[in-house]
Amino acid sequence: MSIQEQYKKRVREILSSGAVKMVIGYQAGTTADRRRPLFIRTPEEAEKLVLDSACIANLSGYLVTEGLLSDEKSVGIFLRPDGIRSINILAAEAQLNPEQVVILGFDGNEKEVTALQGEKAKDFTAIIASIKEHAPSAPRNPQLEQIEKMSPKERFEFWQAEFSRCIKCYACRQACPMCYCRRCIVDSNQPQWVNTSSHTLGNLEWNVVRAFHLSGRCVGCGNCDRACPVNIPLRLINAKMAGEVLGAFDHFAGMSETQEPVLASFKKDDSETFIL
Amino acid sequence: MTRILLSDKLDNCVARWRKAGLTVIGPVKKETSSSYAAVEKAADFDFGIVLPDCSIKGLFFPQTEPMTGYTIKKQDIVTNDFAPPAEKRIIFGARPCDASGLAIDDPLFGWDYKDDFWFQRRNETVIVTIACTKADNFCMCTSLKLAPDSTKGSDVLLRPLQNNKGWLVEELTDRGREAFKEIADLLQDGSEQAAPLAVVPEKFNLDACVAWLKNPENFDSTFWKEISMRCIGCGSCTFLCPTCHCFDFQDEGDTYSGIRRKNWDSCSFSLFTMHTSGHNPRSTQSARWRQRIMHKFNYFPGKFSVNSCSGCGRCTRQCPVDMGITETLQAISTLKP
Amino acid sequence: MKIVDRRDEAPGVRTLKLEFQNPADHEHFKQTFRTGMFGLYGVYGEGESTFCVASPETRKDYIECTFRQSGRVTSVLASADIGDLITYRGPYGNRFPIENFYGKNLIFVSGGIALPPTRSVIWSCLDQREKFGKVTIVYGARTVADLVYKHELEEWEKRDDVDLVLTVDPGGESPDWKHRVGFVPTVLEQAAPSPDNCIAVICGPPIMIKFTLISLKKLGFDETNVYTTLENRMKCGVGKCGRCNVGSVYVCKEGPVFTAAEVSRMPQADL
Repeated sequence: MSIQEQYKKRVREILSSGAVKMVIGYQAGTTADRRRPLFIRTPEEAEKLVLDSACIANLSGYLVTEGLLSDEKSVGIFLRPDGIRSINILAAEAQLNPEQVVILGFDGNEKEVTALQGEKAKDFTAIIASIKEHAPSAPRNPQLEQIEKMSPKERFEFWQAEFSRCIKCYACRQACPMCYCRRCIVDSNQPQWVNTSSHTLGNLEWNVVRAFHLSGRCVGCGNCDRACPVNIPLRLINAKMAGEVLGAFDHFAGMSETQEPVLASFKKDDSETFIL
Repeated sequence: MTRILLSDKLDNCVARWRKAGLTVIGPVKKETSSSYAAVEKAADFDFGIVLPDCSIKGLFFPQTEPMTGYTIKKQDIVTNDFAPPAEKRIIFGARPCDASGLAIDDPLFGWDYKDDFWFQRRNETVIVTIACTKADNFCMCTSLKLAPDSTKGSDVLLRPLQNNKGWLVEELTDRGREAFKEIADLLQDGSEQAAPLAVVPEKFNLDACVAWLKNPENFDSTFWKEISMRCIGCGSCTFLCPTCHCFDFQDEGDTYSGIRRKNWDSCSFSLFTMHTSGHNPRSTQSARWRQRIMHKFNYFPGKFSVNSCSGCGRCTRQCPVDMGITETLQAISTLKP
Repeated sequence: MKIVDRRDEAPGVRTLKLEFQNPADHEHFKQTFRTGMFGLYGVYGEGESTFCVASPETRKDYIECTFRQSGRVTSVLASADIGDLITYRGPYGNRFPIENFYGKNLIFVSGGIALPPTRSVIWSCLDQREKFGKVTIVYGARTVADLVYKHELEEWEKRDDVDLVLTVDPGGESPDWKHRVGFVPTVLEQAAPSPDNCIAVICGPPIMIKFTLISLKKLGFDETNVYTTLENRMKCGVGKCGRCNVGSVYVCKEGPVFTAAEVSRMPQADL
């Protein structure tokens, strides 16, 4: 039985037994290479499920939809390891109770996917630990390496050119599971922290704010990058920041549901003293 | 016998127009992105792009536009109203859907208060549209009763030649004829055939959809919640859309000086209609998606007798969760009116 | 426009009296303003806010606007001093057709911070009192402190040609409160105005409007004789920016004044 059929069966089981009230997965999209989010509420709807290597999107952001988990019932969700890390961060930041999230894990490459064993986020700790283990020696993104070789001036110009296309549609924010704020700082106007206009300064401000707010929190799922309608390589910024945080604090985002947020916690023996 | 513009004369045309003081704009591809951008020579164009990422709208209604500058000194406020830069432009290689989008929005910007920014740019821009010989899975102009060779909103329509060496020229307006006078000697007579137009299958029955949308009972249908459940509430479909025109005013600066700007805004955003009191008439994402569809195919045509959609398909093509007008109207087509 | 006077109406609620600096603008206002219309008031560097013109069409030497301090613009407007300059665009929108009310009895029903638009109509009628029949005003707020235009409420109370019914929500009364206690729709039903030859003008928060319409229906009012004003969020005021529509109706252009009959044809979920 293919992994897709195995999982269809599993989805039918957990919906029939009442273990979950809904399963968030993937279905066929507009074109052959596209998958779109699917909300399965009855065992019959499981027939629409598609699970293959084209299932890329990190769906965990849907779990923080207002009211979804407030009835304390569980929801099933298809997640790759990066999505499971998102669940850990959302739990650590008190956005959801991980006990309500039944994970249908999978992983794979461009050709095929395989099932991951486990049900709750904590069952995947070993898998995530091994990803962290390999993170420093993992092949770097060649484009990122190229950017790092640039002089500060060249680098600034590179990003100015990229950000000049930004139209502030905030697809990057809305697609990001970590951008769950009910009112984003760019929508706050007393005071107006960030210019809302999509001009050179406003675009730079937004993208810098986004980079900092995601430092130590981004799991590198690439949702932002894929969502950007003008193809700004947002993933590179996040990857750079994740690398910095790993090097400086040995912090790999989403290791466990009790992991302290690296930039929102303070330790007395921190070598930086500025906060005091 | 028709007039023909050969590709190898285009560089000369660009030079002529630039010499005549026109900014020449066209489809340009740069690594992973494409846009309508200014060019210096014919080689800068890329006519192979099905559609640039963003529609042509931004060239007439930019994402941010200074309206009024202000300086405050003691008891005196000095303001200066901005005008759009006086710039004559020719857009060479617009797509018919993008050009149509401009014509669709003309009555909106013209009713009651006339938007000078829009109309000055409209009047000073020549739009040379190239009929589509290539479409992708997202194109849907035919479903909107338009076509790969629609002339709506265009000043000149070019049809690619079958031999791929140039275009048949159809001058449509005085503004178009004026701009082509500049290059009249670079055109030639010919009897070459135009290449076949792109085949864009009809994806939904527009009349059936409109009938369903007009039935007030369907406003409260559970359909809206189902179809929009995966919408993440970003503004990409509205910002890329050739006809979406919602905007916001924002002041930038301090107590002493600054600029009041007009910025794109989106009916997808949750704060768009929020009242001071906290009451929000469109408080859910499904209400906001309903507004977008209703506005395009019910409210807007009710006022201006034209649907606010030209079928470019960007809303689906670039949607992070693969939603869009096509899916919604296809689903509506199957419902009882 | 220049602020020539300011007044605190209730906690957080302030009235500004404004005079035109530019004679041409003033002339335009005099030519076009009718009761019910609104304006966009602003401060450079902060933005614009939409409020009704709270002064009547019978007094066009100035504009009064009343607002609750809540957002970025209103906070700055609330702290502005007499002599300060603010921006104004308008008047926009449609109006209460008060010439159609001549010879009729009038009942005004209003709640909380929504008295300002009603007050514009009230004074427009009281300034030509002889043209109307009986005038009844039902006004309520959450608490006694939240009642706005207190000095004018006193004035209306003293007048023989106005019936004023004041109420506060249960629990909102002060020890010396002599008027009613209860929600506006209930108090309205108790006051039981006759629908015969009577026009009702209502304005309040969405929930009050909803229940007041039900009460008026019970009392026998025809929907075409009931007027209200919808105050949606607006930015442009000229039918372009896309926020204020309820269904196909653009509040800034076709409103803000509607009859209850018109409101009932709108999609109720978008109100």
